[in-house]
Amino acid sequence: MNLNEILTGTLTGLIILVFAFVWQTTLSGVTRKIVGRFQKRYGPKFYQEFRDIFKLLTKTGVTHGWVYSFGVMMALGGIMGTAMFMPVMRFTAFPGLDNVFIYVYLFAVGMLGMAMSAVGSGNPLAGIGVMRALTQMVGYEVPFLVVVLAMVYGHGTASVSELAAVQQAAGIASWNLVRMPIGTVVGFICLLGMLGKKPFETFIAPAEIASGPMVEYGGKQLGMLMLLHEFSIFIEVSLFVNLFLGGAVTVVGFIIKYVGVFVLASLVSQALGRFKIDQVIRYFYRWPIALAVAQALIVVFLGWGV
Amino acid sequence: MGEGIIEKDKKLKEGWEGISRFFRANSLWMLMYCTGCCAIELPQAMTSRYDMERLGMGPMATPRQADVLLVTGYLSVKTLRRVIYAYEQMSTPKYLVAFGPCPINGGIYYDAYAVINRLDQYLPVDVYIAGCMPKPEAVMNGFQDLIDGIKNKTADGWKRYRDNYEWYRKNQIESLGELRIKDEFHE
Amino acid sequence: MNKHIESVTEAVKAKFDVLNTEIVRDTQAAVDLKPGDVHAALAFLKAQGFRQLSMLTCVDWLEDKEFQLVYLLFDWDKGVRLQMRARLDRDNPKFTTVTNIYPGAQYYERDVHEFFGVEFEGNPMSYKQLFLENWDDIPPMRKDFNSRAYSDKKFPVREYKKDFTKAGDGK
Repeated sequence: MNLNEILTGTLTGLIILVFAFVWQTTLSGVTRKIVGRFQKRYGPKFYQEFRDIFKLLTKTGVTHGWVYSFGVMMALGGIMGTAMFMPVMRFTAFPGLDNVFIYVYLFAVGMLGMAMSAVGSGNPLAGIGVMRALTQMVGYEVPFLVVVLAMVYGHGTASVSELAAVQQAAGIASWNLVRMPIGTVVGFICLLGMLGKKPFETFIAPAEIASGPMVEYGGKQLGMLMLLHEFSIFIEVSLFVNLFLGGAVTVVGFIIKYVGVFVLASLVSQALGRFKIDQVIRYFYRWPIALAVAQALIVVFLGWGV
Repeated sequence: MGEGIIEKDKKLKEGWEGISRFFRANSLWMLMYCTGCCAIELPQAMTSRYDMERLGMGPMATPRQADVLLVTGYLSVKTLRRVIYAYEQMSTPKYLVAFGPCPINGGIYYDAYAVINRLDQYLPVDVYIAGCMPKPEAVMNGFQDLIDGIKNKTADGWKRYRDNYEWYRKNQIESLGELRIKDEFHE
Repeated sequence: MNKHIESVTEAVKAKFDVLNTEIVRDTQAAVDLKPGDVHAALAFLKAQGFRQLSMLTCVDWLEDKEFQLVYLLFDWDKGVRLQMRARLDRDNPKFTTVTNIYPGAQYYERDVHEFFGVEFEGNPMSYKQLFLENWDDIPPMRKDFNSRAYSDKKFPVREYKKDFTKAGDGK
């Protein structure tokens, strides 16, 4: 990779970051409004999330030691770095480096930064929240990776942009949604777990452990955490769109797919209650993992969906 | 030359403050300290009938995250201590809204040995909402007043608390005795 | 009257020197005892099935110069309550703890000590503060405690320029 490629790649990555921020923050506000309408409320303005984030960034922030402050930066940096690698439509910042496993590893940097910072705040509820978040991660990673590995085996490539390109060959019929319907269901359940939406909201649980890892955050740090949250939603939903819904060629296609997935996840979340952490693990290790293994066996031995 | 820079700096600061006030006024996160009966009026104000979220307001879990502290009802000596802890934990700028007559002059508890009479002696109050209990309309009106106050700089309780800290602390000590309690529940 | 409550009242009457009995309601009776008999009576009633001490409270009889301790017992099997009452000297309010019979009385004794100033010998925990933090006056539930004066002394009162109390006389 020469200097020119690195420069253009970084530039594309930055553009993707700005797009991710503006797009996901707007969509979060719109989703709050949709949810409000479902509850017969008027709901906030669609740019409410921007107001919240900028308000938090203008507030003062107290620090609880350098581990706390550094952990926030590390988490935000890790997640932003991961977001730069995400293929959006036909743009990929670093072609050839958008391997599925890049996301798994880089995403962990962000999560660990967050865990470090939250535990550094010294509040026992933050410790409980982090423990639950990591436990839940163990729960959803296994079925998700089984499905993704089956997909990698079937298509013969691990690059996300190539996986998306394979699915664009023959319209909807070649999407993994049609080729691997069981795997898509598992992927969506795991997506709910990744997003921390309602049935798997164990690590936030505002009424139970006072918003878990975020319990001691306020002001600027909380603002950075909200930014991080928007970026991580962008990564997770884009990954789902790229892996199961055939990516996107045009802006319109991307927007329709992305909005569909995120709004559906939010509405599912509004209809359900919250699992306990042991129920989450028991649930993930029963149905999603069984379905994921079934899907993998179908792909490997029957060759369907390849 | 030097004065020019100071002037410019001042203007820049004022501009930044103006932008900040715009965001703060429309994104108020509440910490509900449900000390008394007025707390029962908050669910109506929050849910579909009056829908507080359209003003950008929402409940928050901890003092650190919140912008507005709602003192809903009478404050006993014991709860006043915890309100002071919570208020001092919040990150500035912070606002305090007092519900009902009890924080104003003691209300029906004016002669109680364990209930304080005036909240503004101990913490700066930005908005009072009158009524025993205030109707949800009055609650929404009070929040609108707070938003207007933030926009035209009259809701500056956190600055008053910072500037007159000794006076507030003196009043707190006079009524509460020791501010930090040392017993088996606070180890 | 409930037959369970009748039989247990009779049993207490037969065993102890009962000053007075009173029917509070259909499932509840009150028995006045001498202070010395209270512990034996509580132990006896606990063996009879009154496993729970629902409440321990105190009444201040200012004219009689006496404090009255009220132990409210509850029988979960029969659903009946029994009050055991005893009067103490108000000037020297001392009693012996019942935590060896009902361990749950710990917090009730702290409560009564804090609000009435009754001392429970044998329960060192009862001298610790429970509800009132840094209390600096006579116990507040005594009848000779002036709540208004304490409130005016301790908490600043809001001054009004206009007398609103006389404004609303309908004119």
